[in-house]
Amino acid sequence: MFKKALGALVVASSALALIGCSVQDSPLEKSEITVYAGRSEALVQPLIEQFQQDTGISVKVRYAGSAELAAQLLEEGNNSPADVFFAQDAGALGAVAKAGLMVQMPAEILGMVPSSYSAADGSWVGVSGRVRVFNYNPERVSSVPDSVFDLAAPEWQGRVAIAPTNASFQAFITAMRVTEGNERTAAWLLAMKTNAVIYEKNSAILEAVESGAVDAGLINHYYWFARGKEVGFANMNSRIGQFRAKDLGNLINAAGVGIIADSTAARSFVEFLLSETGQKYFVEETSEYPLIDGVSAGIDLTPLDQVPAPEIDLSDLDDLEATLKLIRDAGLI
Amino acid sequence: MAHLNISGLGKNFGKLEVLKNLNLDVRDLELVAVLGASGAGKSTLLRLIAGFEKPSSGTIELAGKQISSSTKIVSPEKRSIGIVPQDAALFPHLTVGQNIGFGLGALSQGQRSSRVSELLELVELTDFEDVRPEKLSGGQAQRVALARALAPKPEIILLDEPFSALDAELRARLRLDVKAILKAEGATAVLVTHDQEEALSLADRVAVLRNGEVVQVGSPTEIYNSPADVGIATFLGDSVLIDGKVVNGKLETALGLLTPLNSVTEGKSGLVAIRGENFYLQPNPKGEGEVVGQVFFGHDAVVEVLTRGVKIRARSNGPFAPEVGMKVTVWVRGAVNFYPA
Amino acid sequence: MRKPPAILVFLGVCAALLALVPIGYLGLRLVEGFDKAVAEILRFRTLELLGNTFLLVVSVSLGALVLGFIQAWLTTRSNIFLAPVFAVIATLPLAIPSYVLALGYISVFPNFSGFFASWLVLTLATSPFVFLAVSAALVRVDTASEEVARTLGLGRLAVLRKITWPQVRPAATASVLLVALYTLSEFGAIALLRYDTFTRAIYNAYRGSFDRTSAAALAVVLVLITLVVIWFERRYRGDYLENRPALGKRLRVDIGGLRFVAAALLVTVGVFSVFLPVFSLISWSIEGLGVIDFIIVINALWASVSLAVLAGLLIGVFATALAIWNVRYRSKWSEFFEGASWATHAIPAVVVGLALVFFGANVTPWIYQTTVMLLIAYLILFLPNALAAIATPIAQVSRNLEEVSQSLGTPANRTIMKVVLPIAWPGILAGMALASLAVLKELPATLLLRPTEINTLATRLWSATEDLAYSSAAPYALMLVIIAGLPALALNARARKALSEVKG
Repeated sequence: MFKKALGALVVASSALALIGCSVQDSPLEKSEITVYAGRSEALVQPLIEQFQQDTGISVKVRYAGSAELAAQLLEEGNNSPADVFFAQDAGALGAVAKAGLMVQMPAEILGMVPSSYSAADGSWVGVSGRVRVFNYNPERVSSVPDSVFDLAAPEWQGRVAIAPTNASFQAFITAMRVTEGNERTAAWLLAMKTNAVIYEKNSAILEAVESGAVDAGLINHYYWFARGKEVGFANMNSRIGQFRAKDLGNLINAAGVGIIADSTAARSFVEFLLSETGQKYFVEETSEYPLIDGVSAGIDLTPLDQVPAPEIDLSDLDDLEATLKLIRDAGLI
Repeated sequence: MAHLNISGLGKNFGKLEVLKNLNLDVRDLELVAVLGASGAGKSTLLRLIAGFEKPSSGTIELAGKQISSSTKIVSPEKRSIGIVPQDAALFPHLTVGQNIGFGLGALSQGQRSSRVSELLELVELTDFEDVRPEKLSGGQAQRVALARALAPKPEIILLDEPFSALDAELRARLRLDVKAILKAEGATAVLVTHDQEEALSLADRVAVLRNGEVVQVGSPTEIYNSPADVGIATFLGDSVLIDGKVVNGKLETALGLLTPLNSVTEGKSGLVAIRGENFYLQPNPKGEGEVVGQVFFGHDAVVEVLTRGVKIRARSNGPFAPEVGMKVTVWVRGAVNFYPA
Repeated sequence: MRKPPAILVFLGVCAALLALVPIGYLGLRLVEGFDKAVAEILRFRTLELLGNTFLLVVSVSLGALVLGFIQAWLTTRSNIFLAPVFAVIATLPLAIPSYVLALGYISVFPNFSGFFASWLVLTLATSPFVFLAVSAALVRVDTASEEVARTLGLGRLAVLRKITWPQVRPAATASVLLVALYTLSEFGAIALLRYDTFTRAIYNAYRGSFDRTSAAALAVVLVLITLVVIWFERRYRGDYLENRPALGKRLRVDIGGLRFVAAALLVTVGVFSVFLPVFSLISWSIEGLGVIDFIIVINALWASVSLAVLAGLLIGVFATALAIWNVRYRSKWSEFFEGASWATHAIPAVVVGLALVFFGANVTPWIYQTTVMLLIAYLILFLPNALAAIATPIAQVSRNLEEVSQSLGTPANRTIMKVVLPIAWPGILAGMALASLAVLKELPATLLLRPTEINTLATRLWSATEDLAYSSAAPYALMLVIIAGLPALALNARARKALSEVKG
């Protein structure tokens, strides 16, 4: 009697497990997905159109800022119409993941990129890399400083621009905190309060350096390339450079993708971004770094191995919260 | 039976008692003028009759039906009461013809059209049908307002100081026209005014409103010749008050023995009201009166005379009025009113 | 007191309830983390930002009031030459979104930033509100009393202060209220000009730490400030005056040689508020001509215009209902509901957008990300704009007219349709035009709530500037300014018609 019951229980639970497995193995079939994309439509839409052509899956894309889309997803909660969230900043992805709105990224997808560029808990995967660079006016700045910490010196007062509300800057500060410690970070931030000119975003900093309003600034590399493509590299007034190898100022960051509503179509989309086609597109069109093996970075960019890989989980919000506290305490926000 | 019957009407605005215990009847086809000083409650009375305010006490009946009481009022659009406000209040977005036809929604297009033409002819504005109100003069606007109110043949028409905004000559002419128009239409009307001339010349009956009450109602001659009390006597016309005592059925005064108009009680003392037109001034170098002032109006004059210790004002013909400084004998013609103290 | 018709109450209550949805959302968020919220508000930086906001609001309000009043008085009452032209110039900034104005300046003066820059840009952007309201009021001022005052010994300035201003006060204060609340909620332009105000704290809160509780707490502070500002405005405004018939001819005041100075002043203002930004837009657009995809532009144009027209109509209906209810059948309830519709006016549009995202996705998903939801958002955001413009004309319709109409057999409700609305109609149209203008320029809420396929000129403009592609952004901005110029000119035509009543 006992054995029979036990046996039945075993059978039942295995059946359940099998069903659970099969849910995992064959997710919902869909022919149309909705992507919330915190990226530029002009830059990214052609790639998405390519995806539609290649797979026959139609994609409805909602373009807006990464932070706004994250806020929107948080408000929508479980009733969001989104299938995929494609964002420029890890904080946005992390916030959505932390709210439990993201589906675990399948292991085979996560395996396509080095783990440091994806969420530690596997909720989202990085698809393209960007690097922090030093943007400067060559008429006013003779050479790139050795280290980003040099910018704390008095001779830089009023000459360097930062965007403390920008996610990549905040990620950079998080990295600084983790590697150099809170004290050194706080000291550098205080020095920035005296030395730095505050801007809202990277693009504004680039504008300012280009027009001569400020001598230099800390931005993400692809802004400079985008501008060069628009007006012609020969017409650019400013240059970009990087600090000495492995300096914290050269931090690499990633744009990433998370799945909100699981389906083969959604997974195909992510896989497409990480395919050779997708990665090559990022290299050629947006001047970003590819993250998969087998695709090389653009010739103008510093190879990845000379750029220090962060040991931090970019999407850990608790880390971000502590970073923000430091930035606020310095009076920069 | 009275066409409009107001009984015991009272209205308070907060602590302010504007009308109290007001009684008034208006007969069919009659034009009643409610005469009162500013602030006496005339406009409030009209608004109560029209149904824009609710009485605090009393009732109003029209054509046998009760339309207002302190508990229930019939809404204005159901009352069949026309109003002509002080400033005409024509609808600025409609033409003259459309203004007049506004209340004729129940009629067919043809009927409305002919009624409008009828009224335009009545008010002598036949060519003005398509004109906009802003192009009309004051007098023309008032006529249109009257035509508009008359168009739906209301049970009664209320006119709120309709001539006060017009200049004197226009006023006189328009008054007569309005009376003729009302008669021609067979309308019953209540007109409120502070202008005595207007009330006396237009109305079939005059009701004097004072402190929220009707203190006297009568024909113009009755009201004028026999005011019920001193207040009314001095309000209407230009009266001089002198002391007097009833002696042998006559009034003993500084100006001599005068004949009383109203009934008097023997031995009583009080005030005698003498109108300016009761006086006759006879130029007389030995007269006891001396002319101390004169105001010349053209066709007549008011002459102030000091006689036997009393200063009187007499009406006289303009061109022949005694000059200042002349000596006159003062006679009192006709009977005068006596008000016991 | 007369009872208002049921339809007015229904529409008014609906409008107010909708306006309260964002407040309900804020309350919900607050409840989730009250202590944290309070801590956020009491941070020194927050209070510092509050101080900045206060400074900016007061200075912009005063600036817009002075500038708008001067422009209005010069064009309607003085004998300045080319008055109609200057009137058009004074109205045109309405067509230019403030962030476009800021961009225009920055492209010419790269270092243009900080408090003064923000004050200048916002004053120029909002003075048309005051100009339109004061112009309309000045035309109705009784000039006979001004002339009497002169004979009694008052100089020109004293007449302005003691006789003219009190008659213009209700219109002026209502428009300054709009200016103040606009400045409170404004973010885009002053972010570009790098002056941090309280809205910066809100943006940082939900963007930096995705902390909606703190963001909500800060937004509630803005709501409280709004209520205080509104309370002051109501006390100071005075009563609406009924329209008295013209008591005398309206003559223009001869300001003699000052005409040239005044004209120079108005021209300078025009250069800074209109010509400079439009010129910079045009030059950028010429660069970008080769890159434009005309189909996208046409689609965006169509979307912008149809949304603006639909929203204008919707807002017009609700605003008229609310105005009639509150002006003609005033009661404690009508005042409450009218006030409620203003309560959310100072909340940044992004917060209103998020509130509706929450509400839409979770409570009414069938309208989420549809045009209907977007129109509701516009109603919540811009009903007050229309209310201010519509209430005055309705108040000015004389009570006598309504009573006469009733005496002629037309019940109160139908009287509103047959008498009040036709007379107040030009004012109602003006209110709808103002609301439509605001809808054309709107960005943050549209980004959040639009159906995914729909893009307006404003959203296209935004995404182009995000890409730093100024030359492809400029054509959208230019088109937006041109389209928005149409209702702006219509509003001005109304003012000019009133001008034509002024002789001399």
